[in-house]
Amino acid sequence: MKEEFLLGNGAIALGLMEAGCQILTSYPGTPSSEILPEVVRFSKAANLNTSIEWSVNEKVAFDNAFAAAISGKRAACCMKMVGLNVAADSFMSSAYIGNIGGLVIISCDDPGPHSSQTEQDSRLMARLGKIPVFDPSSPEEAREMIKTAFDLSEEFQVPVMVRPAIRICHARQNIQYGILESNLTKADFKKEPTRWASTPKFRFIQHKALNEKHLKISEKFNTLTPYNMHNLKSKTSYPFGVVTGGIPSSVVQDLFEEYERIDIPILKLGAPYPFPEKLADEFMDACDKVLVIEETDTVIEYMLRDKRKTLGRLSGHVPMEGELVPEKIEIVLNKALGDCGLAPLSDSDNGLEAFDLVGGLELPIRKPTLCPGCPHRASFYSIRKALPKAIFPSDIGCYTLGSNLGVVDTVLDMGAGITMASGFWNAYIQDDVKKPIVATMGDSTFFHSGTTGLINAVYNDSRFLLVILDNHITAMTGMQPSITQGDRVDGRKGNPISLETIVKGCGVDYIKVLDPYDTKNMIQEVKDAYAHVNDPDGGIAVIISRHPCVIGFKETAIPEKIEVLVTEDCDDCGFCHLRFECPAMVRNEETEKTEINPVLCVQCGVCLQICPKDAVEKV
Amino acid sequence: MKTINFVLSGLGGQGILFMTKILAMTAQNKGFNILGAETHGMAQRGGSVVSHLRIGDARSSLIRAGAADFLISLDESEAYRYLPYLKKGGMLFANAGARAFPDSKVVEYLDQMQIKPRAMEAGKTAMELGSPKSTNLAMVAFYSAFGVGPLDADDLRATVDSISPGPFKKMNLKIFDTCHEFGRKMNLED
Repeated sequence: MKEEFLLGNGAIALGLMEAGCQILTSYPGTPSSEILPEVVRFSKAANLNTSIEWSVNEKVAFDNAFAAAISGKRAACCMKMVGLNVAADSFMSSAYIGNIGGLVIISCDDPGPHSSQTEQDSRLMARLGKIPVFDPSSPEEAREMIKTAFDLSEEFQVPVMVRPAIRICHARQNIQYGILESNLTKADFKKEPTRWASTPKFRFIQHKALNEKHLKISEKFNTLTPYNMHNLKSKTSYPFGVVTGGIPSSVVQDLFEEYERIDIPILKLGAPYPFPEKLADEFMDACDKVLVIEETDTVIEYMLRDKRKTLGRLSGHVPMEGELVPEKIEIVLNKALGDCGLAPLSDSDNGLEAFDLVGGLELPIRKPTLCPGCPHRASFYSIRKALPKAIFPSDIGCYTLGSNLGVVDTVLDMGAGITMASGFWNAYIQDDVKKPIVATMGDSTFFHSGTTGLINAVYNDSRFLLVILDNHITAMTGMQPSITQGDRVDGRKGNPISLETIVKGCGVDYIKVLDPYDTKNMIQEVKDAYAHVNDPDGGIAVIISRHPCVIGFKETAIPEKIEVLVTEDCDDCGFCHLRFECPAMVRNEETEKTEINPVLCVQCGVCLQICPKDAVEKV
Repeated sequence: MKTINFVLSGLGGQGILFMTKILAMTAQNKGFNILGAETHGMAQRGGSVVSHLRIGDARSSLIRAGAADFLISLDESEAYRYLPYLKKGGMLFANAGARAFPDSKVVEYLDQMQIKPRAMEAGKTAMELGSPKSTNLAMVAFYSAFGVGPLDADDLRATVDSISPGPFKKMNLKIFDTCHEFGRKMNLED
């Protein structure tokens, strides 16, 4: 037996390997990103034959896993919850068609949100796609659920979702495990066009069969302890009970233990869909009122049919938005208990006074910012310098932080940097206004969902400048390898894809490649490119702004280190730390001048080019 | 056993996760169950970073506001930011200058909550000893000197010894011993 203080995503990876998952695909996104690298680690350590890939996007990941599963293998794909939107087309179809080998979809939710555009609840997507779903309450339980999910998926030939929330993914727990072994099931796709390529007539039949499966799975979920269970004493009635699942179920159990409230029964639904009707009815029958505490939407609450007995989001007892952190759950419980005429858990103010006090301290606002030396910062500086009045549609990645620099006006979803650029063009050109538009997008995002938008824009003759911020890596989510570099996650070589070739293939004629560290050159190139955009015989222009990520390529990103100092000429205008926002440039409150923080400075030398007073010099 | 709750706070890049690892490994070696909650993703880029560590048999990884036994912070502002997590009678350890600490605006609250704040210029000490990035280690050593909680100083030191790579071992242990000694003297004076 080994024991590790495993990240929740590591526990999920362990569960995948213990369940004999043979094919794993994923696209990175917080909080899911570490699952795949952890699978690589376990797989290598135990010399397993697992096939593991970073796919180009989530839909690609899903389809690859699905094909493996209908060939009889155990397959899984993992993604963040908004990634599941990208895979939604396949996802919705998959339960109708079903699978042979187990297919598990791991969709990681981000209540808060901490690092996402929405707080959407993947369990709702599961319900929409008629896919059974598990909602783990701890890393250890997530690991166990993965195995149960594979077994269920094979028993009923239906894909199964596991939905860990961020507090599973980025929790850590000490976990013991034994020997891992390869699953040697061979691919054996059996042709059956009425199933695998079914027409609408057969889809109806498949839908009916799926609904029948759901009744059976619901029956199974009625007794699926310890995931689904209550602690009612027989022939006892209660004035108040709690229905919960996932992370909140752990918090509720901790609270009741701490405050010794054995008088309040709990119905835990770790497998909430298909809804375990009988189990829920038993609980509802025994309680006068129930409070539903679930994250992040109203999945269980809607499925409980007696609304007059039910407290939760719909009754205003549980916040409709934000993460249900433990102190919030205690507040919710105290209020609901009070409303039902019962004693609260405590008279604690749950830190409210202290939070108020801290709010009044005017602590430094620590907004996330681009790293010192980040090539995106130099790119954004030059774009703004060249075309200050443009609209700047951007996208999702580290460079979203360009909003601090005033060069990110919109962020909608992966790929929208380009599609919104064409949308803005169309909106203005209808009024005969040639609005300057500069879209920015990272290399990984461009491969994920940039090309369709670019092809569409070229075809429909939209006009804008696209700057692809090519840092050779997917940085924000933890330095996953880029397609342009040809390195695959398990260390094997892939076939690198050239950005220039793809852009040209999308129909763009004007392509310039440059290094953003030379801001003078980039400013001129942006101006020249915009002239092409504006030329009646011109078209869309693309600049590939290429410089390796200073974190991902620590050794090579800055081949020529330039040590700098700030001279007496500094007049405290603050441009370098407030507008250019280099974290290594800090204001000395005593001298009222900028200083270089030697611990943070990576000696990129870009500040030599940007100081409005020329007060930065080489040492 | 009763769950013991640590909140560790600081800034992105200060090595909060490394500090968590030292405490967690020590607890694991003693046979305790441990749960932790980390900050990843966007918040890591220069933002405020917090890590929760629970030693004992809790189920949920997050520590409730008002329930932490110890708050160890690598930055003075980040110590104040997470003050609401400390329970009545909890202990605060901050990387800060002893003279100006704590901020007069929080003194009354600390008194009322019977929270005793303790400060060490851990960043400065680590820099003077030649390893400015070891503030995290320095604060663990400082904490270890007060003999509170389920982890002994000797065990924490042994963990630092075992996880420090060869070239850094000597330096890390020197920082540990120096900061532990600083804390030990402060504890004696109390």
